[in-house]
Amino acid sequence: MAAAPLDGIRVADFTWVWAGPYCTLQLGYMGAEVIRVETRTRLCVTRHMTPMADGKPGPNRSGYFNQYNQNKKSVSINLHSPEGRAVAKRLALASDVVANNFAAGVMDRLGLGYEELRKDKPDIIMITMSGFGETGPLREYVAYGPSQVPLSGLSALTGYRGGPPLHAGFSYGDPNGGIHGAFAVLAALYHRARTGEGQYIDLSQWEASVAMVAEGILEYQMTGREPERNGNRDHWMAPHGLFRCKDMAEKVAGRSIDMWVSIAVPDDEHWRRLAAAIGRPELGTDPRFATLAARKHNEDELEALITQWTSQRYAREAEEALQKAGVAAAIASTNKDLFEDPHLQERNFFVELDHPEVGVRRHTGPPWRMTRTPSGVKRPAPLLGQDTDEVLARVLGYSPEEIAKLHEVGALK
Amino acid sequence: MSGPFSSLKVVEVGELTSAPYAAKLLADLGADVIKVEPPGRGDRARHRGPYPKNEPNPEKSGLFLYLNTNKLGVTLDIFRPEGMALLERLVADADVLIHNLAPPEMDRAGFNWERFRQINPRLVMTSITPYGLSGPYRNREAEELTIWSQGGLTYLNGAGPDTREIPPLKVFGQQSGYQGGIHGAVATTGALMAQLRDGEGQHIDVSVYEVCASMLELTYVYWPYAQRVASRLGAKPVQPLEALECKDGIIFLCAIEDHQWKAFVELMGNPAWTEEELFRGRGRRTANWDAARLFVQEWLNEQTVQDLYHKAQAARIPFAPVSTMGDLLSSDHLKARGFFVEIRHPVAGTLKYPGPLFQMSRTPWEIRRPAPTLGQHNHEVFVERLKLPQGELAQLQEKGVI
Repeated sequence: MAAAPLDGIRVADFTWVWAGPYCTLQLGYMGAEVIRVETRTRLCVTRHMTPMADGKPGPNRSGYFNQYNQNKKSVSINLHSPEGRAVAKRLALASDVVANNFAAGVMDRLGLGYEELRKDKPDIIMITMSGFGETGPLREYVAYGPSQVPLSGLSALTGYRGGPPLHAGFSYGDPNGGIHGAFAVLAALYHRARTGEGQYIDLSQWEASVAMVAEGILEYQMTGREPERNGNRDHWMAPHGLFRCKDMAEKVAGRSIDMWVSIAVPDDEHWRRLAAAIGRPELGTDPRFATLAARKHNEDELEALITQWTSQRYAREAEEALQKAGVAAAIASTNKDLFEDPHLQERNFFVELDHPEVGVRRHTGPPWRMTRTPSGVKRPAPLLGQDTDEVLARVLGYSPEEIAKLHEVGALK
Repeated sequence: MSGPFSSLKVVEVGELTSAPYAAKLLADLGADVIKVEPPGRGDRARHRGPYPKNEPNPEKSGLFLYLNTNKLGVTLDIFRPEGMALLERLVADADVLIHNLAPPEMDRAGFNWERFRQINPRLVMTSITPYGLSGPYRNREAEELTIWSQGGLTYLNGAGPDTREIPPLKVFGQQSGYQGGIHGAVATTGALMAQLRDGEGQHIDVSVYEVCASMLELTYVYWPYAQRVASRLGAKPVQPLEALECKDGIIFLCAIEDHQWKAFVELMGNPAWTEEELFRGRGRRTANWDAARLFVQEWLNEQTVQDLYHKAQAARIPFAPVSTMGDLLSSDHLKARGFFVEIRHPVAGTLKYPGPLFQMSRTPWEIRRPAPTLGQHNHEVFVERLKLPQGELAQLQEKGVI
């Protein structure tokens, strides 16, 4: 059988929270040995965020951490101690890729900067995924994934008509920075495989986020105006929105769950299909709705008509009836819907491995499949520091006595 | 110096966002990309805008212009045998084929891995489709809004007074398309590493639905870990992490770590309320944020956005302003880093585009040409590269195949 695409590639992973770990998660999916450097002196935020398995707190029980650190190893190194920094440097030099998402300059201050490392290992690849990049007047500024949404211009363009700028609903800057970082690392690995040359990558999460707003940037220049927020509507499609359905059939934790179906109709043919599917075929040729221009003109009325139909149905029923008629419709999935979705199960999207503290939990795996090279998740997320001794011995060649000494002086906390 | 992918030949059969973005990522790092569009109408992105003065023109769509830099453009009707035969000749010579034809269209055209692997066993073929190439939803219709919703992301967004009756909110733009594209490019590049090593290609099946569900942060795991539905309604899992009004606009607060909160308290002048037991520690602050917000709001009423942004950042608190398009284009920081690049297009004119997504010290990101006009490179690709006789090109053009 073929080897995994990144078989034999080692990543010294100094990243934390979400952007960086999302980057190295991708490399791990493809078979790289990802060694996450953690410390008990300052736990990764995601190790103490909810939800904790069965509500019991503990650094190994966080669903967030356990989702985005699958496949990785964890070594515990105290970067505040000089001996710890020496171990970290040895790990970096034993790796092909060094990844971090600290603010600009932090790795240099730890003695782990690119110039320092390349002296001993000229072909090393290093990536820093900071909030604002390594150069420019705001290089010392800090950003978290959620703040990238307003910073990048996405908030200014997102919101209900006439209402204030809103958010994306998740920490979009993180996975977006992380996935672009993974692509950059792969490009550098590809270049190294062909030429033997390593290099340094400076990724600004802000810039990677602004790129996702390119249409808005161009519209502003083309029209001389800031684009308007338009709710769920679309200039080129109608209907285009989310429509209220009956609440979820069962309550969750005593609360009823509101459910919605999303519908997007790109042309008049699809509109006629929709009209027939909701039992109103005459609306397909009704002059108020027959063309896109007419539907845009009468959009409030159009949405009210559709809501009349959806509000009497469960979201799944509406989705299925419309899909059967060839109309783009999908429920606004909750996490429960995803967890139970037969399509995702049939495609083996989920990973169910036995984790020593939280047991089997249904995590998500890579959103792609490769036909020839094995990839995916081989081991659950690591317990804090579980691989410290193994990595120091096998990868870095420390003797058992040296390891014991390092523990003693607090270098491996 | 040349880009890391300057040795690569890529064929793209893509429309709108996902496959075009994946191919752009490779093209901007040096790959030679031939983009195949349907004759006549071309890529659907040409028909979406934005357009100068809001006047539709398929050569001036901002979405198309951005997503197709550095590509050669040809037209080909791959649903006709003569068109498929020419596509096969392009694929025979390529390292990568990236497409986002939907599965029913693939079936109709006979566009599949079995066909292409026989022509070129080194090929990496990447299929980016809404639901993937297998499973009960394989043939479903999808648009940006519906796939973002199915993937669980709209359910988390939106706000307002009686929120239960206000619909969940889609974020601006083509985000599922972009994410499908970049996730597809990551998988493609992984397969290229294996191609370099083994001399063999393979097929990659990317599901945009799964891409969206991969980005749910802590909200997905609320079900398998706590049997709770994560929703845009109700309290947030950590605070302060939200937008509030200042005197002159909106600031995004973020002070979720203890040291950030401490610095923020100092910035506010250490008011007495912050010493209440209610607000000690991340957990209690989050639980009692509704109360804390009232105090914070009172203070914010006296602040201006830009001043507070820079003051907070000087204290290493990651607050952020709400940037407009104009703010971004005039940002001194983005200018100093050379982020926006000016590109001249023969029809659409000169505009500033978002530029490098990251800076590589050795292999540059570069613009070699603007997005192609429809069929701009038909002669160069079919006659000069594939050696199709000039007369045959004219014939195929007449029949509408090219």
